[in-house]
Amino acid sequence: MDTLVKLQGVSKIYPRVHKPRERLKAFKALLFGREPEQGARVLHDIDLEVVRGQSLGIIGENGAGKSTLLKVLTGVIKPTRGTVETHARIAALLELGAGFQPDFSGIDNVRMQASLLGLSGKELDERLDDILEFADIGDYIDEPVKHYSSGMVVRLGFAIVTACRPELLITDEVLAVGDESFQKKCIRWIERFLKQGGTLLLVSHSMYVVQKLCQKAMWVHDGTVRQYGDVFPVTQAYLAWHEKRSAKEKELRIQAQGDGAFYNIRQLSIEGFAQGEEPVIAMGQDMLAELVIYAPDDRAPVGVFGIVRADGTPVYGVVSDNEGARPHGIGDRLYRFRFRFDAIDLLPGSYSLRGHSMDPEGVRVFDSREVAFRVAGNTKEVGYVRLAHEWLD
Amino acid sequence: MRKDNNRLDGVFFKNLVIRQIRQDYLENVTGFAWLILQPLILLAVYAFVFSTIFKSRIPESGDIGFVPYLAVAFWPWTAFSESILRASGSVIGNAALIGKVAFATEQLPLAMVTATFVMHLIGYLAVLIFLQLTGTHIHWLFLTAAVPVFLLLWVFAASITLFTSSLQVFIRDVAQILPPLITFWFFTTPILYSTAHLPALVRSIANWNPMAWFVAQLRQLLLFGEVRLDITALAVVLFIAVFAWLSLRFFRRFAGHFEDFL
Repeated sequence: MDTLVKLQGVSKIYPRVHKPRERLKAFKALLFGREPEQGARVLHDIDLEVVRGQSLGIIGENGAGKSTLLKVLTGVIKPTRGTVETHARIAALLELGAGFQPDFSGIDNVRMQASLLGLSGKELDERLDDILEFADIGDYIDEPVKHYSSGMVVRLGFAIVTACRPELLITDEVLAVGDESFQKKCIRWIERFLKQGGTLLLVSHSMYVVQKLCQKAMWVHDGTVRQYGDVFPVTQAYLAWHEKRSAKEKELRIQAQGDGAFYNIRQLSIEGFAQGEEPVIAMGQDMLAELVIYAPDDRAPVGVFGIVRADGTPVYGVVSDNEGARPHGIGDRLYRFRFRFDAIDLLPGSYSLRGHSMDPEGVRVFDSREVAFRVAGNTKEVGYVRLAHEWLD
Repeated sequence: MRKDNNRLDGVFFKNLVIRQIRQDYLENVTGFAWLILQPLILLAVYAFVFSTIFKSRIPESGDIGFVPYLAVAFWPWTAFSESILRASGSVIGNAALIGKVAFATEQLPLAMVTATFVMHLIGYLAVLIFLQLTGTHIHWLFLTAAVPVFLLLWVFAASITLFTSSLQVFIRDVAQILPPLITFWFFTTPILYSTAHLPALVRSIANWNPMAWFVAQLRQLLLFGEVRLDITALAVVLFIAVFAWLSLRFFRRFAGHFEDFL
């Protein structure tokens, strides 16, 4: 396999350099090849190999180290530890309008950037029309770049990259600035670029874009690789993690009354999985659940099963007495409901199964409990559930 | 197949120099005129102070007056000192570029030095013509021999700049320390005076100053039409070559860490 980029054990620490004394200290450390004593550890021990023809999406929350990783990859900064090898003609769009001189006209900046990317004057003359056509900013090309909108800057920047035909294209979330039609144009271009054997490294917060363009994904978290692999499992795990986190932030977690409740829940479980193991259901599989309620007055209580997304959004819920279902008494004033979701059509992601206990009249909820589970699968559908559908002529 | 994305690149470097020249001299109306006027005014001031007030005489100059003697050395010095002072801030000044675009960053100070040299050489030619018209005989043929001297001076300035511009990223005080050092260097270099004015002991120390050699060379070539290739010339070339190699290594060693400090 033809390796274009190889990172081994890469760490990056940004030294603290706010005060002159700190600068001097950091410089001394640098001079003697020591690691800075104080600083922000942005990347920690990252290994990565990108082979020709691969398309890799780098995902992660803000501040996870994605941009620093790209900077190390492109050779813009040196890692504190580890090695970086590159064997390709790289074109990188690391930041909006990076390298553009605001006082100069668009066309002057095109010349500058193109030569920076290794295009000779003759090559540029041949491709200039293509660049202008791709950027599609009309007469603005003769205006100083400082008068451009951010969208126009991105258009011009990307147009130059398309003209220099790199082997490896690296972009850092800059395309998101462009408008809808320009984004589509870029995506079409990247797809063609990949088809022709190009290699892509993309940082994006749009899982849609990552799933559309990339075969592989790398989830960077706190400067380390949290997960690496095929794009679907990694992006799904990342989204699920996000949902869980926002649920925590919103404190949407249900309050379980627990043992103090009159009709309290003794057990809620998904069958077929051991205690402590996260249940994983393949999309389209059946899911069996069990709810055991303790009724002190030994009257059969009403039970509720429901499914919520990891962030607490309800997906579906059903109450036993509305459908004429009754629990089995299993002795000791315990009542058990068993329940099956047939061929569960939830889209991949993290969910929770919720169980509620109600009084025998079904008037109020006494107790609640939930069990997290994950639905796995490869699909490009969006939303929570698959609805029965058919494409018509 | 190994392709280095951080290589020195001819087309980009040329564009960088042109951009610098446009930015500094051609974007404002007086820029270009100022380039000729400023040293001319300075020269006039020095000429007035030294030849009229102090009645300075140059012992070995013969029939060549003080003004041509000063002018031939003054322009190269201006190119040298100004390029160092300006280019030392070129890494910090381009913070927006560093850490965002992959390129060989040493091109920034080198382009600034080159732009300054190109513009001052144009001024130098204008001054030489002015001197010729006002009755000084300039040995124009020896201008070709002066070209390698200028190239060497460029290498010297560029080497110093590679060192100062990278150091300034880490130690900002360089910006404050440099101007007085350059002024000191100016007065210890025989530009306003001749080494013949100096006591023997001081002269032997002053001879270690590479700039003294440059100044003497240019005067010999352009005013007296003499080429002097001796052991000193060889020593200067060797010294500058080693210095250039060291400063480029110094710069590259730290280039990947500029962004940490900017």
